Amino acid sequence: MNTTTTARRRPSRTRSLAAAAALALLLGACSVSDPEAPAAEGGGDGGGTFSIAVGIDPDTFDPAGQTTTTVQNMVDYVVETLVVFDEEGELVGNLAESFETSEDGLTVTLELKEDVVFHDGEPFNAEAVKFNLERIIDPELTVPLGSPFEVIESVTAVDENTVEVALSRPSPGFVSALSVTTAGIISPASVDAEGNTNLNYQRPVGTGPYTFGEYTAGENFTVNKFADYWGEEPYYDTVVFRVVPEAATRESLLLSDQVDMIILPPVSDIEALQANEDVEVLLAESDRTIFIALDTNDQLLSNPQVRQALNYAVDKQAIVENVLFGAAEVLDAPMAPSLFGYCETGDYNYDPERARQMLEEAGAVGASLDLLTPSGRYVQDQQAAEAIAGYLREVGLDVGVTTSDFPSFLARVNAPPSADTVDMHLLGWAPPYLDADFQMQMFRQATHPPAGLATSFYTNPEVEELLAQADVETDQDTREQLYCDASQIIWDDAPWIFLWTQSFPIVWSDDVTGISSTPTEKFSAIYARPAS
Amino acid sequence: MKGTTAHIVRTLLLSLITLFGVSVLIFLMLRVLPGDPARVLAGLNASEEQVSRLRDQLGLDDSLLSQYWSFITNLLQGDLGQSARTSRPVVDEIAVRLPATLILAVVATVIGSIVGVAAGVIAAVRRNSILDHTISSVAMMGVSMPVYWLGLLLILLFAVTLGWLPAAGSGEPLSIVLPAVTLAAFSTALISRMTRASMLEVMGQDYIRTAEAKGAPPKTVIIRHGLRNAFIPILTVISLQFGALLGGAVLTETVFGWPGIGRLLVDSIGARDFAVVQGIVLVYAAAFILLNVIVDVLYVVVDPRIRY
Repeated sequence: MNTTTTARRRPSRTRSLAAAAALALLLGACSVSDPEAPAAEGGGDGGGTFSIAVGIDPDTFDPAGQTTTTVQNMVDYVVETLVVFDEEGELVGNLAESFETSEDGLTVTLELKEDVVFHDGEPFNAEAVKFNLERIIDPELTVPLGSPFEVIESVTAVDENTVEVALSRPSPGFVSALSVTTAGIISPASVDAEGNTNLNYQRPVGTGPYTFGEYTAGENFTVNKFADYWGEEPYYDTVVFRVVPEAATRESLLLSDQVDMIILPPVSDIEALQANEDVEVLLAESDRTIFIALDTNDQLLSNPQVRQALNYAVDKQAIVENVLFGAAEVLDAPMAPSLFGYCETGDYNYDPERARQMLEEAGAVGASLDLLTPSGRYVQDQQAAEAIAGYLREVGLDVGVTTSDFPSFLARVNAPPSADTVDMHLLGWAPPYLDADFQMQMFRQATHPPAGLATSFYTNPEVEELLAQADVETDQDTREQLYCDASQIIWDDAPWIFLWTQSFPIVWSDDVTGISSTPTEKFSAIYARPAS
Repeated sequence: MKGTTAHIVRTLLLSLITLFGVSVLIFLMLRVLPGDPARVLAGLNASEEQVSRLRDQLGLDDSLLSQYWSFITNLLQGDLGQSARTSRPVVDEIAVRLPATLILAVVATVIGSIVGVAAGVIAAVRRNSILDHTISSVAMMGVSMPVYWLGLLLILLFAVTLGWLPAAGSGEPLSIVLPAVTLAAFSTALISRMTRASMLEVMGQDYIRTAEAKGAPPKTVIIRHGLRNAFIPILTVISLQFGALLGGAVLTETVFGWPGIGRLLVDSIGARDFAVVQGIVLVYAAAFILLNVIVDVLYVVVDPRIRY
């Protein structure tokens, strides 16, 4: 009898359980809801929503706190910089109408654009610029990309629209560095606005074409058109960045018309996407060089002949085609072609015979070397490292490949030289602004680990001398030549196995147009619009 | 019931010791991981001065003991600290993500339990029939299919080819369907296998024969006499699966861009964001303890013979 009553009660319990689950489901649907509407088409004069799927969840929207280009890309919709690189790679004024460096290179004068207002209605003026430049050299604030601004000695608001920046030493790369999102100009009043403090700045207020809308962690970030924008009006009312970590899922979102544009599809699908008539593929140029850093302190690898031999031993073109599915350009200099200071330096064409011969002369045949690689950090990084190891084995070296998660990898390669220093490791380096001075950190003693990431411990007095001159040279042509000369020596010294600059693939629906890229691994889609 | 209450109180008190142990373990495990959080946080391009300044701000140069002391004293005041990566309070970070994970785990468990138990009962009752073999084979596939692969296949079919369902995100009501089904595949299979085995054992008992002999309809025999008695091990599997889904949904959350806590945990480990990892692990530990208590109570409800 007892059993029966309990059993009779059972269904009601099941029902209430189901009801609870349904309720929970409903609540959840509300609490994680987002305003995103897939790829709405607007009318003739604009409107609607443009949606972009990206792989990275923003860590901070504070321009000063930026590290990742994808997050910078989002912040750039809201916050603008004083100068920008245009599509030809030329540095041009943006919020600054013009900029001028004094003869001695110690003073930079910026003439600001007039009639620009921040999203909170505050005026953009010299005081605002002064506030921002002083903010990014404030030791209290974490500014990961702040090193180019350490030369700032003082900032003066000369008048409403003129700013003078005094530098502690000539720094030709300084004005270029003002193009980095780190130096984006926020409204001084906004650091005290609701939800913000100077040290914990979550809701940026800038001068950009879009205002900060809503951010749902792990899900999406929305920006809305700013009515009083000083420049050209963008087409879409709303832009949604959807956070989708899996590349294949981003691709599916695009192919099912649930977003208008994606970055970084699975590289193995690039060919299929290129063949697909419904989408456009842009393999955008990037300034990220990928290379194998060789430990020049190592007994064997301290011999430049051995290092050159390693360069000859690897068929980079074949790896680009077969392992990276064409999404890279083989290097012909120790920096990407998009940088100021680049010149075509040379080539190490695949020549295993020559490599073997050079290794024999150096008595290096049969030597054993370990190769460390990150996994999933760069396009096909581990796969490429395996292929490279294969080529090196073919010329008589005993190469073992190991991998680890990125923080552990970094701890290993960013340590002072020791018995534990790895012989070779695959690394990528992308200057945040398009100037050789940042790239050249990789070849200077001052930035040997742990002070910097010049992880091959390479140094050459001639190179140091040329770079020291370039640091303070204000004549751009002379400076360019200095970098070119240094590059030549570095290329012949071969502290790296020079590999490639990886492409930055952007794919969008052919219903939209007006999308391009900048070579700092950023898309420019602010002026996207329907194709018809 | 008195014994049960005492049992629950005792379990909860003991769990404080467990939580303390967990806090020490996760604290130490994070500190022995290679990789300097300040360097990871500041990024590749940061200068050494910036990195050391950040180390100082994060308190990483303090002794382990003093770091643990400030962690545990803040914890007792309900403060899990601040995320190094996002500067937001850890409590907020978790509060934003936890509901999404809970919903997904609950829906997947409900799907897994209903389908799994039903399939298991059918397989047991129709033992050795074609139906039984089919269910067993499908269950085998469900257990062995990688979540990643299954998820992508479902997206290809239902989002790209048929265009019926959202491929990712959690914004629309139908968004939960694909991740929940993907997540439920494994538990459905496991629950159905456990149900079948448990049912087969029970159905061979004397009291089932008695029930049949007294003329009870087959439905009553199977559900009331069979399933109810077979339910304890099934309940155990369901609760374990629910716990695993809370913690193990990382892959599903990644494939479907679901803003859950598993992804936050993995991202935070990758960024060496100690405070967030510690916070999430403690929340997981607390959730597991709570889950165990609930299951203990459910045992008593299902089988009144159980006493604590």
